[in-house]
Amino acid sequence: MSQPASRLDFEAVLVPLAAIVVSLALFGVFILCNGVSASSVYYEMYRGAFGTWFSTQNSLTRAAPLMLTALCTALPAHLGLVVIGGEGALVLGALASVVAAHLLASFGPWVVLIGMGLTGAAVGALWLGMVGALRTLRGVNETISSLLMNYIAIGVFKQIVEGPMRDPASLNKPSTLPIGDANMLGSLPGMDVHWGLVYGVVACLFSYVLMRRTVFGFSARMVGGNVRAAQLSGISVTKRVIATCMLAGAAGGLAGMTEVAAIHGTANASLICGYGYAGILVAFLARQNPLAVIPVALLLGGISASGGLLQRSLSLPDATVNVLQGILFVVILASETFYGRWKRAPAATVPAPAASVVAEVA
Amino acid sequence: MSPPLLRATGLGKTFGSFCALDDVSLELTPGSVHGLLGENGAGKSTLVKCIMGYHRPDAGHIQLGDQEITPKNPRDAQALGLGMVYQHFTLVANMTVAENLVLSRTQLPLFIDWKKEAEALAAFMATMPFKIDLQATVRMLAAGEKQKLEILKQLYLKSQIIILDEPTSVLTPAEADEVLGMLHGMTRKNELSILIITHKFREVLGFCDEVTVLRRGKQAGRGKVSQLTTNQMAEMMMGSATNLENKRVPASNVNEPRLQVHELTAADDMGVPALCGVSFEVCSGEIVGVAAVAGNGQEELVEVIAGQRIRSGGTLLVHGKDYAATRDQLHDRKVRCLPEEPLRNACVSNMSVAENMAFRSFDRPPFAIARWVLSHRQIRKSADEQQREYGIRAPSMGSPIGTLSGGNVQRAVLARELRGDVEVLIAANPCMGLDFAAVTEIHARIRKARDQGAAVLLVSADLDEVLALADRILVMSEGRVVYETRPETADVTLMGKYMAGHESQESQESPAAAE
Amino acid sequence: MEGEALGLLGVPLAVIGGALRVSPPYLFVSLGECLTEKSGRVNLGLEGTLIMGAMSAYGVSYLSGSPWLGVLAAGGVGLLLGALHAYLCQQPRVNDIAIGIALMIFGVGLAFFLGKPLIQPTAPRLPAFEFGNWSSSSPLRAALQINVLFAIGIVLAFAMRYMLQRTRWGLLLRVAGESSDSARAMGYDVARIRLYATACGGFLAGVGGSFLSLYYPGSWNEGLSSGQGLMAVALVIFARWDPVRCLWASLLFGSAGALGPALQSVGISGGYHLLSVAPYVLTLAIMMMTSSAHRTLLGQPAELGAAK
Repeated sequence: MSQPASRLDFEAVLVPLAAIVVSLALFGVFILCNGVSASSVYYEMYRGAFGTWFSTQNSLTRAAPLMLTALCTALPAHLGLVVIGGEGALVLGALASVVAAHLLASFGPWVVLIGMGLTGAAVGALWLGMVGALRTLRGVNETISSLLMNYIAIGVFKQIVEGPMRDPASLNKPSTLPIGDANMLGSLPGMDVHWGLVYGVVACLFSYVLMRRTVFGFSARMVGGNVRAAQLSGISVTKRVIATCMLAGAAGGLAGMTEVAAIHGTANASLICGYGYAGILVAFLARQNPLAVIPVALLLGGISASGGLLQRSLSLPDATVNVLQGILFVVILASETFYGRWKRAPAATVPAPAASVVAEVA
Repeated sequence: MSPPLLRATGLGKTFGSFCALDDVSLELTPGSVHGLLGENGAGKSTLVKCIMGYHRPDAGHIQLGDQEITPKNPRDAQALGLGMVYQHFTLVANMTVAENLVLSRTQLPLFIDWKKEAEALAAFMATMPFKIDLQATVRMLAAGEKQKLEILKQLYLKSQIIILDEPTSVLTPAEADEVLGMLHGMTRKNELSILIITHKFREVLGFCDEVTVLRRGKQAGRGKVSQLTTNQMAEMMMGSATNLENKRVPASNVNEPRLQVHELTAADDMGVPALCGVSFEVCSGEIVGVAAVAGNGQEELVEVIAGQRIRSGGTLLVHGKDYAATRDQLHDRKVRCLPEEPLRNACVSNMSVAENMAFRSFDRPPFAIARWVLSHRQIRKSADEQQREYGIRAPSMGSPIGTLSGGNVQRAVLARELRGDVEVLIAANPCMGLDFAAVTEIHARIRKARDQGAAVLLVSADLDEVLALADRILVMSEGRVVYETRPETADVTLMGKYMAGHESQESQESPAAAE
Repeated sequence: MEGEALGLLGVPLAVIGGALRVSPPYLFVSLGECLTEKSGRVNLGLEGTLIMGAMSAYGVSYLSGSPWLGVLAAGGVGLLLGALHAYLCQQPRVNDIAIGIALMIFGVGLAFFLGKPLIQPTAPRLPAFEFGNWSSSSPLRAALQINVLFAIGIVLAFAMRYMLQRTRWGLLLRVAGESSDSARAMGYDVARIRLYATACGGFLAGVGGSFLSLYYPGSWNEGLSSGQGLMAVALVIFARWDPVRCLWASLLFGSAGALGPALQSVGISGGYHLLSVAPYVLTLAIMMMTSSAHRTLLGQPAELGAAK
């Protein structure tokens, strides 16, 4: 597992940047093979992402949930866990927040919004907390369990939305009853971007401080670096793992709540649009550093926002963006191997079989 | 057919800026046992790895008989009749003895007729001086049996020159004598030549014909064993006349029991019982040594006391109260631990040296403000202070501990674990893989902790270390304490028998104790 | 006798029939994953391989008119993706779990992109053995249709077990998965063994995908896979890394997957989405029951534990 970057050397910026350039180049070749000029694709992507005030706002709106779902992966990564359950936490958090909204409807918008946020976060926390509990109490691989739980969450979500909570008026697209315009999350002053963006930024800052500057973060990093050393120091691995997974789930649940309260106004299948999976990508591109999640989410938000424009103006399939994401993800992960190739620590350059020999020479 | 002469001349090898071998020569006379002596890191392993084709030497030649050889990998070396028994087993644990033997052949048929192979193996085994069940899974074999299997494998492959890398570290003295005696006998019949890496003079004097001594990658001496004294060889190894006698300082101030273990049971990683009812006490002001052959439950014992393994039964008391190795208990009762391989057991390699040194106290003032906020400045300050006292050599206390050498990692761990009052100290092979100076220092610090009133439990694979440090000795075998003695009156041969499980007080007294 | 007349008795029959249709992709993907994991590496990206396989099989079958060419093409694409996975994973500091997920996203995206024009046309399908021709009952006949590819898969499961135990390749593969140190000490190139194993595993997963598009459900669309590629990993754990037990496990998972449609066919449609997640719940439950926080699993290649 890659350790969250603490040094700000040129590598930490250069390697991901080079990875993005290489990915874009590969993507360009791919597009070229499909008979479309690469330069027009790059231009349309830029225009669709940050070229106009409208598209910038669109990108920011998409970045908000990405910051939160990225934390679903980035927080447990500090403990050496690869959790990819952001999609499930988002979907169930959204559903729970709709339930809360209906139950609290008579108390006025402020209570409704706070209730929605708390319920969404709580359900997300329980969902991913289960992943942590399974890992530490039963030894179940967290990557696979969180992946399976995404599918289970989506099944439960569809069952409830198309069954007991269905709004009879929603014909083509089964949805729950809307939470009501009065209860919607407003926009930031002077922009058409909702407050979820602020939630995302604050959550990332909070996570960074938690992991870097607090006693909890220190012990979590001990667990992530070496479980045996943590145990030797009397640190309860179980508690750290479950607590961190719950925080991660809370972020995912909150993402679901903001999508409902700021965009859709109801829970329906539109919520299942892959923010959870794109969040994994953001977390890995940010090398699991919560602070780096913010700019990376903006970038990825931009790329996904540009997808629509590509489809419309160049008549490329909507899966084009998925291909780009896939290329980006593979190249970024493969680029991990280039860290430490320029700045050499004396002991690290020795070939593996001889490392023990050198270590013995005091 | 007698084995050919193996001669290495002027070998050199550097890794990056580190010179592991510098102009080293060695000559293995056919039909002899040749000892390769040296401290940890002296270049012994590098030398034999060059011969075996693991490494390409930067300079020098290797000759086998009249021919110059340049093996590119261990398979090439194997084909030339060179075989090596490694310190770490190269057997595949989840496969059977038969599968392991067949696998080791350089030429494997595409389809394997197990019936035919089994017959051939049984016929081979019948000619060998010791027997191992061919259908047993290697995981289930004791360490001594695995070592014998490694040697059998080389004989099965018809290697004429066998290199042994510290072959006796996992054997009891009696087993070591048996194995080395048998190989020695084969060399007398001129069937084999043996190159044995060791640091035990007992083995050199008992079985070797000639020695080559390395020090810091250079050749420090060579000669016939019959013409050298132990002190001369020690001087070649360490560089100056060194007093080999490690002076014992007996405990003066033994008080009340601090650590009490009663009927402790625990399972290993495969769920098989590893501790089957261990009971003992360690008092304030004494060092209790545990001697055992690897794999007899002592690792699990340390892990249970250190909080790295869950106990399945029995009681563990520190200061007379139940102890579960929680952080508060560790802190209040001042329990500390010096584990083996500190980088694997006690450090987080990508956190800084300073952070690693704060593991015991990061959640208390002055490192933690208001129980939550971490003060990186205080952590760094405290580490800088201790750096001088313990002589930790590091580029900076902010660099990752994984970049430090083994000795300096252990010094950082010592600084952390011995800070302030220590009431219970668990030390498990604390000197494994360290050089002479570091060993002396660690021994002195452990004695000092005892003299200041700590109860010390020392688990060590090195019988000499136990004899030198302990005030009382427990012998463990198959998850039980089978024998107790004092170092002044210890009979090493008898201890060895208990370690090998040949004698067992407990099973004679109460056969039902097995359950 | 018509299906309606069978009433509730039709449910077990429909489950069996469904299982025989749903299991083959599970079988091929789990055999592929089993082979990969035996060599000491995890490939989480087989879901992407499966979908790419399904798409390319359908495309090639449509263009060439031969479904078997489609199967080969699917295998070839799987082989390439597997080799790519293995190549990337053997670079230092590259995490094989994460690369698996990345290749899954990449494979799925690429399949959807290239498969857009294939949603409309109909491609020739794979043939099946009609074991139920003696019966006049159409549900029985439907239940006993066994696809040729599935039959090949069954033979393959036994062949793979033989290969692992009694051939040089099998032994070398297991050594690479059990102890890379031993393999290296014997002079074998562990990375290359794993490369071959992962590539062949990818081939099998690709073939599994071709079954989806060329037999059942038998068309190409974006909702074709229901995560069989992902569940392969859990299935291999359940099967304790034994190819023949992979076969039984696939049938079990196939049955779980067939339960929903079977109940729907007799008019019980409530809880459809809940029933559709039955295989995932089953996987999770099995992993919960068979894993332990305190010991290693029996039969698990030792190098897999070391990688995590």
